[in-house]
This record gives sequence, C-alpha cells and structure tokens, in this order.
Amino acid sequence: MDALLSGDLLFAALIVGALYALVALGLNLIYGTMRLLNIAHGDLIMLGAYASFWLFTLVGLSPIIAAGIAAMGAAALGAIAYFSLFRRQIARPGPVEKLEANSLLLFFGLSVIIQNLASLAFTASPRAIGYLDQIYEVAGVPVIANRLVAVAIALAICIAVAVFLRLNIYGLAIKALIQNRDAATITGVNVERVQLLSFLLGFGLAGLAGALLSMTEQISPFMGFPFTIAAFVVIILGGLGNLTGGMIAGLLLGVLETYGVALTSPSYRSILVYGVFIAVLLYRPQGLLGGRRISR
Amino acid sequence: MKRLLASTLGILAVATAGTAIAESKPVRIGYSIAKTGLFAPAAPSQINAYDLWAEQVNARGGLDIGGKERRKVELIQYDDQSNPGKAVRIYERLITVDKVDLLLAPWGTPHHIAVASVLERYKFPMVGNTAASVQLREMKPGNIWFSTSAFPDRLAKAMAEMLKQSGVKSAAVLTNQLPFGMENKKLLIPELKKAGIKIVVNTDYPPNTKDMTAMLVAVKRAKPDAVIVHSYPGDSVLYVKKARELGLNAKYQYVMVGPAIGFFRGMFRGAADGIITLGHWSQFKNARSKAFFEAYVKKYKQEPDFLDSAETWVSVEILEQAVAKAGLDKDKLRKTIATGSFDTIFGTVHFKGVENAVTKTGFLQIQKGKIHIVWPKDAATNALQPKGPWPK
Repeated sequence: MDALLSGDLLFAALIVGALYALVALGLNLIYGTMRLLNIAHGDLIMLGAYASFWLFTLVGLSPIIAAGIAAMGAAALGAIAYFSLFRRQIARPGPVEKLEANSLLLFFGLSVIIQNLASLAFTASPRAIGYLDQIYEVAGVPVIANRLVAVAIALAICIAVAVFLRLNIYGLAIKALIQNRDAATITGVNVERVQLLSFLLGFGLAGLAGALLSMTEQISPFMGFPFTIAAFVVIILGGLGNLTGGMIAGLLLGVLETYGVALTSPSYRSILVYGVFIAVLLYRPQGLLGGRRISR
Repeated sequence: MKRLLASTLGILAVATAGTAIAESKPVRIGYSIAKTGLFAPAAPSQINAYDLWAEQVNARGGLDIGGKERRKVELIQYDDQSNPGKAVRIYERLITVDKVDLLLAPWGTPHHIAVASVLERYKFPMVGNTAASVQLREMKPGNIWFSTSAFPDRLAKAMAEMLKQSGVKSAAVLTNQLPFGMENKKLLIPELKKAGIKIVVNTDYPPNTKDMTAMLVAVKRAKPDAVIVHSYPGDSVLYVKKARELGLNAKYQYVMVGPAIGFFRGMFRGAADGIITLGHWSQFKNARSKAFFEAYVKKYKQEPDFLDSAETWVSVEILEQAVAKAGLDKDKLRKTIATGSFDTIFGTVHFKGVENAVTKTGFLQIQKGKIHIVWPKDAATNALQPKGPWPK
C-alpha cells in the first residue's frame, strides 16, 4: 500500500494529466466556440510530432524550439481547413446538432486523409527522438529530463491560455462566444475573426502538443487516435466548452488512471476511465465541473 | 512514394534499360501487406526486405527459372489495411485475376493463417515469414511453410533454460494482452516454475497503456533477478523509459518486440545496452548475413529489423533457390520447398511439416549498440551478459 504514497506515482499522474490537459485544450477551444467536433485532433498531434522529428533529425533543431514551429505549421493548416471546409458550414443556418454531426464527418474524412498521407510520405516505420534523456532527481523522484520539460511546457501553456482567456480582449471574446453565440454577436464581437482565431489556436495547440510528445513517445502515422479519444474523454469530463474544467479534468484523468491502475491492475484501466466517463454522462452530463448551460 | 511506385509498377525501368534478357516477360510476384491500419508500423521492415531482394535479383540479371532462363521480377503489392479478410480476397485476386507466378507472405500471424486457406484451395505454395504461434503447426502442411523459429512453446523452454543457467531465482512477468504476448505468457509460466524460478509479479496490461509507473513500482519492490516483458514496440518504449527512470535494475531484462527495430536503439542509444529481445539472427552470424545487413543499411540508411526483415529475407532466399531448382511449376515447387535444403542468412534451412526444422529458437541482446545472438550458446555470436545498471 505504501507504494501508493510514493512520489513516483504522484509524478506520473501529474505528467500524464498535464499532457492530457494540453491535448484536450485545443479540441475544447474549437468545440466551445464553433461546435465543431474535431476528430482529427490526434492526427494534428501526429503531424506536430513528425515536424519535430524531422527538424531534429535533419537539422538538429531542439524539439522545444520545434514546438513553436510545429504550432505555427499546424495553425497554417488550420487556416486552410477553416477557409476551405468549415467557414461555410458554420455560417449555414440550422440547428447546432446538424453542425456537430457534419463537422464530425468532415473531420473524420480529414483524419483518414492526414493519416494516409503521412503514411505515404514518412512510411509507417515507427520513429523516435533521443533528446534530453538524462535522469534528474526532483524532490527525491527520478525523472527523465525530456518528460520534465514536456510537462513544464504543457502546464505553462495551459496557464498562459487561461490567462489569455481572462485578460486579453480576444480571449474574452472567445469566452463570450463559448457562453452565448448570439449575445456575443449582438454585443459587437467580430464572430468571424474570433472563430478563426480559436480555430488557429486549437490547431496550433495540437501541433505544439505533438512536438512535446515526440520527445517521450514513439512516433508513427497512426499514433494520433488514442489522443483524440483521451481528449474527448477529458473535455466531456470537464464539461464541453468549459476550458478551465477541461484542464482540471485532464489532471484528474491522469490521477484516476495512475492510481486506479496502482490500486487494481492495468487491465482495469479502460474500465475505470470509461466507467467514470459513462457515469459522468449519466449523472452530470454538463461535466464534472460544468455549470448549467444558459439556454441558447 | 518513390518506393511504392518501384514496388507496384515493378522494376520496369530497370528492365527496359537492360539487355536482351529484358525482352522476356517479367516474373510477377504478388503479396498483400498492411500499408494502413493497426499493423502498418510493422510492415516496412518486411516491404523493405522484399524491395531490396527484387532489386538485387534484377541486378543479377533476373530470377533463375529452373536453370533454363533468367527473368526479371516484378512485385505486385496491395494494401490489406491490416484486415486478414481483405488479405484473403487479395490473394485470391492475385492468383485468379492478376495471375501472378509466385506469392510472397503478408505480415503477421492472423494474415498468414487467413491466406493459408486460399493457398490450399488453389494449391499455390508460399513461404511464410513474419508469423509465430503454436497454432501454425496445426495448419495443413503442403502449401505454406514458416521461416521463423520463434514458436512460443519453444521460446518458453529456451527462456526458462537461459534464465536457469544464468542463476536467476525470481522473475517478474509483464504481458501485453495482444494474442502473441498472451500465448507466450501462458506457455512461459509453467516452464519457469519447472526451472525453479519464482514468479514474483505476473501482470497483464492492455495494448493502449500509456504509463507503466504503477506496474513497475510494484516490480521494483519485488526485486526480481529477471524482468520478462511480453511487449510490442509502443509499450517496449514505455517500459525502457520507466524502468530506467525508476532504476529498476534487474540483471536480466527481456523486452519482447521493439528493441530489434532500428528506431529503438536510435531513441535510447547507450541506455538500451543489455536488453534481451526476441530473435535468432544477427549480422555477425555468417558472411551471407553480413552482406544482407550491409546492402539493407546502404539502401535504407537504417538497420533492418533483426526479427521481421531477417525472416522475410530468409523466405525470399528459399523461394529464389527453389525456383532455380524447380522452375515455376507449382507441384514441382511445392515438392522442392518441402524436401530441399536452402542456404540462408539463418544458415542451412529445411522444413519439417510447416516448421523450420533447423534454426534454433534463441534470443538477442543489445551489446554496445550492436545486436548479438546470445542464446542458444552454440549459435551465439557473443556470450549473454547480465545487464548493468541503467545509465543516468
């Protein structure tokens, strides 16, 4: 039992949780502001990971710097997707459920295309980066440096986004859009521009998360899907569109997974995670931390 | 993309640039493989070996057909999307529509088992490679053979023997819940007990595991002499990272699938030294092996997969030599493969039933960044060494 009190577990929970929080953040932004269900989110993470891998392998660029480039690249991709596929979808009048369903299909197609293009371009051979892999002790817990860096950046980004949403005028506009789209329009929020911004942010965050994960995970064209699923679980736990809730839910999921597995067995991981997920959907469909929605 | 074109359209460019031999029709050789889907990351090790072989055969002037003529080869490849049912339909199509002269194997046990029925129906012989399960032995011999020696029952015995002789008294066994892992575990546990090795931890984990901390904290506390991880590439990476982080310094650490693939040693560099893994081939085995290894590295700028690429290579070596003896007639070819002996990178190989009757089941170890055969002792290219502590 005293294994449960070890710093190793606590730290593992924090690392997994922080990465989940970051991965879910981009997805939540896009869903919150536009009601688009980005099922290709994990594939953008994969592209970010490849960007980092190639920059590291070909020109020796540190994945930490590559993270910025990957974020910009993914955001550029986001701009293309937004103008070519999604702008008209969002503008089209109709119930929000229809938009959700359409976006799900569109993103699903995008996901398949991205995966297979990546597989053609990079081959499906698994790849990996050996970077910052010395071990440090932090508060008596040994940690590989790259995981420490990844988690530090993930947390910093989450906090930065939270601050941006609270203090910056565009951040506030994003929040306004998430809360009530029509009211935001009436009060003079430039919906079009704010939508584009959150689309770019959402894609960019996925690219960035991918570059961070490239230091700690094996990279392959099909690595993205588990992250998509994890991100969906996180944002539903935290409350769809509730960004702070999503970040806290990410950390909670990390704790739940790590300690749940320690208390039971690794075979129970999925049962635990999806058990809680289903329970939340049944008893608190607005999410663990979601308040009641104001009617639309 | 380039490689894909080369493999699907065949080596037509080379053929047209050739001399008078290029006039005769190329030998069409078909296969399906997982270019997309769950198994796609595993397939390049095999595709690369096939492409390298085709290139070398054509550079030699073509495939020797029964000692009578030489014809260029043309590979026809389809994507089975990691779906054995699709593979069945593709092999049928290859035989009936594309009318290929020869077949190569798909990737993985389920696909081999699935296409065996097609081979049986059309009496079309094929040398299999990347499959390993005791189930394979239950298949009707005649049109399919397996170049591997990694049968889980033989692996279990060899592992128990190797650990016993190394003085191991206790072991932790961790198993990915995919079929190959579970089959290995099921057969290994009784063998370990028979060898007097105490099992201090025995845990299964799901394939999508993203963190092994809880499991490895428990293993570390149990202080086993050996840790046996029946893992696949993704979780092999997780294991090594976490074991190193926690300082889990068991003297023998077996990580089943992954360490023999190039990316793994690239990722961990010196930290991977001492890890034992599944396989029975290394470039130090014989001159043939060295030549294959060097040609592969030259073409692909990475090392072959010591398990899958090697088994694939053996299968085409056997096919090539059988065709040189028997030509393309299916009955003659079948008889030749079933009864002949073949020079391969595994040494001389012949079959008994569907099984490679010669190559001994063994294990590899990473030593100073190179992969050596360390078991069985009489096939070893270097002696097995206890693993030192993980580097900081």
